[in-house]
Amino acid sequence: MQNRGLLRMKEILAMTLIIVGIKFSDSTSSLMSQQAQNGFWLIPLISFVCIFPGFLLMLYLLKKYKDKNLVELIETIIGKWAGKLICLLLFIFAFLTLTLDSRNYVEQIKQLYFQESPTDTVYYIFFIVVLFGAKKGFEVIGFTSWITLLFTKASVLIVFLLITGDMVLQRIFPIFGQGLSILLTEGVKKASIFAELFFLLIAYQSAKSTSMFRKGSIIASIIGLFEILLFFFVYVCVFDYNSIKKIAFPYHDITQFVNLGQFFTNIETFFMVFWLLAAFLKFIIFIYITSWIFGEIFAIRNFEPLLLPFSFLVVMIGLIPLNSVINELVLRETLLTIMSPFFIIFPFILWSIAFFKGDLKQ
Amino acid sequence: MMNKLWIVFGLLILLTGCYDRIELEQQSYVIAMGIDKTENKGVYAFTYQIANPEVGSAAGQGGSNEPASEIVTVHGADILSATYTANSFVSKKITLDHTRIIVISEELARNPDFIRVIQSASRSPQIRRGVQLVVSKEKASEFINNNQPVMEQRPHKYFQFMLDRADQTGIIPAASLHRFFQITEGDADLFLAIYASTKKDKKQEQGKNKLEDEYIAGQIPQLGGSPTQFMGAGVFKEGKMIDTLDGEEVRIVHILDNTLELNNYLTTMPDPFDPEFQLSYNYSQKQNAKVDITYHQDKPTEIDVLVPFQIEVIAIPSLIRYAHDQEKQDALENAITKRLEEKTMEIIKKAQEQYKSDPFYWSLYIRHEFTNIKQYEKADWHKKIFPNAEVNVTYQLDKLEFGKMLDDSNLDRVRD
Repeated sequence: MQNRGLLRMKEILAMTLIIVGIKFSDSTSSLMSQQAQNGFWLIPLISFVCIFPGFLLMLYLLKKYKDKNLVELIETIIGKWAGKLICLLLFIFAFLTLTLDSRNYVEQIKQLYFQESPTDTVYYIFFIVVLFGAKKGFEVIGFTSWITLLFTKASVLIVFLLITGDMVLQRIFPIFGQGLSILLTEGVKKASIFAELFFLLIAYQSAKSTSMFRKGSIIASIIGLFEILLFFFVYVCVFDYNSIKKIAFPYHDITQFVNLGQFFTNIETFFMVFWLLAAFLKFIIFIYITSWIFGEIFAIRNFEPLLLPFSFLVVMIGLIPLNSVINELVLRETLLTIMSPFFIIFPFILWSIAFFKGDLKQ
Repeated sequence: MMNKLWIVFGLLILLTGCYDRIELEQQSYVIAMGIDKTENKGVYAFTYQIANPEVGSAAGQGGSNEPASEIVTVHGADILSATYTANSFVSKKITLDHTRIIVISEELARNPDFIRVIQSASRSPQIRRGVQLVVSKEKASEFINNNQPVMEQRPHKYFQFMLDRADQTGIIPAASLHRFFQITEGDADLFLAIYASTKKDKKQEQGKNKLEDEYIAGQIPQLGGSPTQFMGAGVFKEGKMIDTLDGEEVRIVHILDNTLELNNYLTTMPDPFDPEFQLSYNYSQKQNAKVDITYHQDKPTEIDVLVPFQIEVIAIPSLIRYAHDQEKQDALENAITKRLEEKTMEIIKKAQEQYKSDPFYWSLYIRHEFTNIKQYEKADWHKKIFPNAEVNVTYQLDKLEFGKMLDDSNLDRVRD
């Protein structure tokens, strides 16, 4: 394992931001707008409020039990075998999220840029690249994330600046979309869009000092939330309440819509490069931490050889859904709904067990 | 040995990127697309104007004998499948990435089935949301065939320049596909499409007495130049065309609708002191119109609109000395304001009584009164609120300029 604990705050921040913040550019927005229509941009805020206390609690527990990562922490608190079962559940969640998300990204790449190529081919190529990236080890991934962060965010900023002219602010009204109650239930049900934050906890000791990890992930999750809210807001203002739920990939629709003056009219490929870079990094990080969780559960210290079979499995399972609509609107939605209560409640159960065991008093 | 195998393997992976490879010279770029009705239901005639990339470029010396574009028409059920039929006699792959305008014949636009055929445009990733919708008075295929720009041979530049310029002066609306879907799906306002024609209207002869913007396309008396005229708008209600607006009405819509852009335009009016002469001025707007809507559930909603504007007087053929006379200036100010207000009220009345909906996108300003979509849709903007609303429009002159001349030459002195 190429991890000597050399990462600093900025690399943790970059990784968290890439794995969480990129959600504004995939189909998450269309998933949320199905029920809530133009009120959907508020959902991530509600989700964040639901899930963030649990995340902070996990960070607190990790701080109290020094020198442990996520799996070790759970096993210490609730016992070895029960802990392993819970962690296995966590692994399954991570793996399924990875699989369904990656299918979504592959579908976007295919639909928008490689219409003739079969999905299988795009999927394989995508994961061959991801696999090579992940093989380099966690620190290289961290450094790469930090180096590319500026470029990816700059391209996003340009998209944002170019689209402001086409935004009609009044479109956010009626402010609650289909209704406040729908917003609240959807917000709770979709809280697990931030589940990656918990999966990242496996890398708790990868930073030079654990306080760097804590600071980096907290700052990144707040910036990420802000980014998601901002872009969802843009989507509402650009598309209207009836149109928003029909659009599968709003980010790409926007990049196709904007032009830079009269001479640069078809400029979406420029943005596609940076988006693709971020997408690769997201799945490089994701497959690495998923394998890491698995390795920790079964005490496989050198888990990097697991990356290949896992990548293969992701592609195989990811290809099963018939089309991207089922993948996104049925399977991913169900997964999010199942995961959300787990991530909202579990940290509190963990904390109360630790509390009653008296571990927290030291 | 192993290393060489890796290199071969790596190259093989790189090659997969060529799956979608298609050479530039193997593609034909459609610049304008036309859609017409046919006698069979569900079958439409699609016309594609395909650009010749060699014309007008420095590299194209050898191909200078080729025409600037090729125009083909095929029948089909939707935009994309028709391209495949067209490929039976177009040698290159038809690509819609660079399409600038979609022309629809007025006959099709007035048909309730229009929305079915245009829907497929939004599904295809090839067609951009920025494509402009043009309604042609004649058949779309005729329009595209008759359109022979004289000075600008390259069709993509021609359409871009033509639409940009006309859009800035406000005689045609910005009518992107994006806007069409937003307004039609929002089901509250009227969408305006660009109106164009290459045929001379019978009314053209009568049109000679009209002022410069009171036309719709085809009516402008013109000698020479390209026969294509872009002027006025087709009014769409719920995805179906119901009427046309002339250039002047479209300008007023631009003034009242803050989502549309209007730079400035030149227009004339009878001189208030000497109505035999036309006084011409440049109208410009530095600020958006202020639309203030007070929603009442049980009595008519009040809509107050305040339009700040600026005027630069360009020509005073009557030679009345406005610049030095404050009283005359005030009278002129009143005359201009009154005229604008009257014209505006005319079109608002037409919208309320005839269309029963508004082309100004004003439903946006009522939305914040409601907390959810159900309430908003129940209040029903274009059936209940707008047609019964009390609308007040006030124009407010911010600035009155008289160009770079302080005064006109004194006629009495010239002819002494």
